[in-house]
Amino acid sequence: MALTTSTPRPPALRRGKRPAAPGELSKKVWATAVMWLLVVVYGFPVLWFLLSSFKPAGELFSYPLTLLPKNPTIEGFTQAWTSFDFAQYFLNTLIVAVAATVLTIVVSAACGYALAKYHSWWVKAFMICVLATTMLPAEVILSPLFLVVRDLGLYNSLSAVVVPAVITATGTFMFRQFFLTVPNDLLEAARIDGSGELSTFIRIMLPLSRPIMLTLAIFSFQWRWNDYIWPLVVLNDPNKFTLQIGVATIVGADNVNWSVLLGASVLSMIPLVAIYLLLQKYVMNADINAGLKD
Amino acid sequence: MVDSIHPPAEAPGIDVRRGPEPMRPRQRGWRLRGRNRYVGAPLVLISINLLLFVTFFVWPAVTGLIYSFTSYTGVGTAPYVGLDNYQRLLQDEAFYAALIRTLIFTACAVPLTVLLSLGTAVLLVTSYTKGKSLARVVFFLPWLISPIIAGVIWRWMFGENFGLVNYLIVSLGGEEVPWQSNANLSLIVVIVAAAWSYTAFNMLLFVAALKNVPTVYYEAASLDGAGSWAKFRNITLPAIAPTTFIVVLLSVLHFMKEYALIRALNEGGPGTANNLLVQYIFKMGFERAQVGYASAASFVLMLILMIVAVVQLRMNRRKES
Amino acid sequence: MNISITAGRGLRRWRWLSLGVAMTVALTACGSDTDSGGSGAKKITFWLSTSAQLQGYNDLAKEFEAKEGVKVEIVNVPYDGYQEKLRQSAQANSLPDVASVPQLETLWINQLQDLSATANNDTNKIRKDLVTEQDGKVLAIPSDLTAAGLFINKSLFDKAKVTYPTDPAQTWTWDEFLAAATKVRTATGAKYDLVYDNSPARIRAFIYTHGGKGFQLGSDGKYATPDAATVQALTKFKSMNDDKVMPKSVWTSGADPNALFKSGQVVAYYSGVWQVADFAESITNFEWASAPTPAQPVHATDINLGGKVVAFNNGDAAAPAKKWVDFIFQRDNYTKLAAANGYLPVESGLTVTYPFKKQAALDAFALYTKEIELADPISSSGQAAQTTLILDGKAIQKDPTKDEMAKFVNGEQDVQKTVDNIVNGLNEQLS
Repeated sequence: MALTTSTPRPPALRRGKRPAAPGELSKKVWATAVMWLLVVVYGFPVLWFLLSSFKPAGELFSYPLTLLPKNPTIEGFTQAWTSFDFAQYFLNTLIVAVAATVLTIVVSAACGYALAKYHSWWVKAFMICVLATTMLPAEVILSPLFLVVRDLGLYNSLSAVVVPAVITATGTFMFRQFFLTVPNDLLEAARIDGSGELSTFIRIMLPLSRPIMLTLAIFSFQWRWNDYIWPLVVLNDPNKFTLQIGVATIVGADNVNWSVLLGASVLSMIPLVAIYLLLQKYVMNADINAGLKD
Repeated sequence: MVDSIHPPAEAPGIDVRRGPEPMRPRQRGWRLRGRNRYVGAPLVLISINLLLFVTFFVWPAVTGLIYSFTSYTGVGTAPYVGLDNYQRLLQDEAFYAALIRTLIFTACAVPLTVLLSLGTAVLLVTSYTKGKSLARVVFFLPWLISPIIAGVIWRWMFGENFGLVNYLIVSLGGEEVPWQSNANLSLIVVIVAAAWSYTAFNMLLFVAALKNVPTVYYEAASLDGAGSWAKFRNITLPAIAPTTFIVVLLSVLHFMKEYALIRALNEGGPGTANNLLVQYIFKMGFERAQVGYASAASFVLMLILMIVAVVQLRMNRRKES
Repeated sequence: MNISITAGRGLRRWRWLSLGVAMTVALTACGSDTDSGGSGAKKITFWLSTSAQLQGYNDLAKEFEAKEGVKVEIVNVPYDGYQEKLRQSAQANSLPDVASVPQLETLWINQLQDLSATANNDTNKIRKDLVTEQDGKVLAIPSDLTAAGLFINKSLFDKAKVTYPTDPAQTWTWDEFLAAATKVRTATGAKYDLVYDNSPARIRAFIYTHGGKGFQLGSDGKYATPDAATVQALTKFKSMNDDKVMPKSVWTSGADPNALFKSGQVVAYYSGVWQVADFAESITNFEWASAPTPAQPVHATDINLGGKVVAFNNGDAAAPAKKWVDFIFQRDNYTKLAAANGYLPVESGLTVTYPFKKQAALDAFALYTKEIELADPISSSGQAAQTTLILDGKAIQKDPTKDEMAKFVNGEQDVQKTVDNIVNGLNEQLS
């Protein structure tokens, strides 16, 4: 039983290192063509959005529509930057997103592991409970949830944004489904070695789940980064406001200042893309086959 | 539940080496012992989630459930009205219309999104494609775009009055297409936009799963001369089945609750033709200060979703055993 | 078996995780200790929601601090969720000291201070019909007025050599306006005569100008079935949604009329004064102008309140809060505020010099000022009804007009059903 190997193996599906077989080239052409077609389809609306953020307000809705800005300007960005305390809101959002992400990963990993590897009836019942958390529209429990947070004394603190968000069905199930694919032999072997259950989880299982951790980190970061109505309701002090609250002030009752809104949206997306690229690199390069073979 | 990935032994013509010991008996034995032996460890592992679940879900949800039996308006007292709200709901044609529209929307959006996200994930992981670094960002970006921005982008594309698509159609000598005022076309635009914006999420789940498929299987299959498609069907798909399952389940739950995007794109229009369930709850309940009624509708929605989830879990278990 | 090797390596890589947890714990520990409200009342908070109009208040706040030694912390709350936030803040005892709100609410109305000293101060000349008053107590003073009105694409009119009235005293009828717009459209190859804001307030103006009374609160505190002129006006409005006069997409599926007008392919746009600042900045590919509201025959608009300024009774911040409200409405200060924020003033006889560079914007404000003077008294009945209901402990959270009209325009129901549904939908919320 080979549990782990220290030598990195080529990850799944990466077979390009071998000398190309006769059909390989045409496969490459096809696959690349399909991918680029999808890139165009997915990218076109995004490109339109990005280029529009450089259009002056007068060009946004002129007819016929044009893809490229005629008189490119960065006024939307500068106005967005100055229309609220961008730096402070940015920092607050960063604190919230990082804290929530770390907690979410730890808690989801533990819970997902338990749901995958233990089979008492109450563990299974709890699995349904976790799923249930996604089943009510957020608005229904907004008011009652607010009272809970207030009664716990969390009102007007960043932790009020973080703590209720830590439980997530998506995260928990990501880990559960992952740990289902980890052979029980590994667990058994650890038990035979005399390793305690929790120590097995922390020492062996947790490190194995790195791609899931990283993927969930991307998710959680995005969720908290783009959170809006909950932070607005539980944060009272403008020094604690998060980025999306600031962005939302651009949308007025009767008017939307589109050029500023586009600028603000682009700015607020940059950190997410950076985080994604950073973490995704580790997911793609992860030597995760170690330990998963039976 | 499956306890390990299925070795692709059932693949025709592919002989993948299994572990030295036969797996099944071992697994079963562990299960029997595992069922009752461990209490402390799983309890500790789920404890934080359990605490959060009780505090931030059960507590407020029970409050909401109590509201659903009252005519609470959001302020003041909450007079008990028994099952009135539920009866009213079940007699409301608009509720059924919204439910059916939601089911149609979900039935279209889920397969489309799952296919696209699996496809993009495979393309990003395989060695056959060139230019992955750009593609990776492009597929990801739509997911970051907020609904209000998505709304304006898609109106630029599919606005029936001055949208790009209609402009091109008219330029080519065609008739303007009523992308917004025709109920079905309007729904199609929303489905496409939903798939566009939600692909990245599922794609990342699939990428993690694909990276997790043991390489030996492919190596063995290659030695046996299996083609790419055979390998994908017989190795990849079974190996990522747990992830596919969760992707489908989460997508169903997500799309059944879709609201923000459709509000930004067409406000559930034309008229009320594309009002989905959560929008119905919003319009009939919260916006008219009928918190009791909205709560009742929400719990009916929750019941529907619960049934969907349990059915899927069951089907999944049957498939795995 | 080298479990420990893997694990060790894995853990080393994940050291930052424990760091993160430590940070989180620290973060959670520093909880909600700062209360921005009553710190010796040297500082008060002022909430408002605006996408543009902050400058005037910022300037006033500086002067106020210099004069009274009280700092005013201005918080711009997003419109989407503002009411919700006020409601929750009331439940957490953390309402602001002063706020400009879209609507009063039963939940916190009993925590308001009496502003009658400011409202009844004769030198201010605040329009009495617009303040919210209960048992001799003034609960809210509007920050500004808004009025519905017509915009035209001047370039298209000029190109088609069609004239339009400029003086509200000699306005046109809807028939004249629509005929002119159709003429412009056909002459210039534009696509639509008109886009019309999808809003209950704007459709009220359409009804009033056609001689209807619209949906009015009866003496029994219920909404009554509207008169025949109202039904006729709604029928006419539907027939205008024929994808020639008006595009259907605005009233059926949420298309943005502002964006459609900005395309330059629509002859006219019925909206309101709040568009002026936006148009001045973001219409560059054609000339626009404010035109008098058509009257058929009633000269009316829909007069609404921009925001309602209220002062909450927050301990030792209550007195400075009242002072701040009084400061805002002192004639000189209010003049400056109205100019900086582009407000139609609530104080009568005020000469405001708006800082717009564009002549069209200046003309627009002059025109709206005249329109408001000429407007039939019914024009402000919509907002008055809202105030009446609120003071009665009731409220219309959601005007069903928009949804029901969408169904009507979309052909899902006839006019009678639409009218009935609107009346029922309104009354349902009053029970």
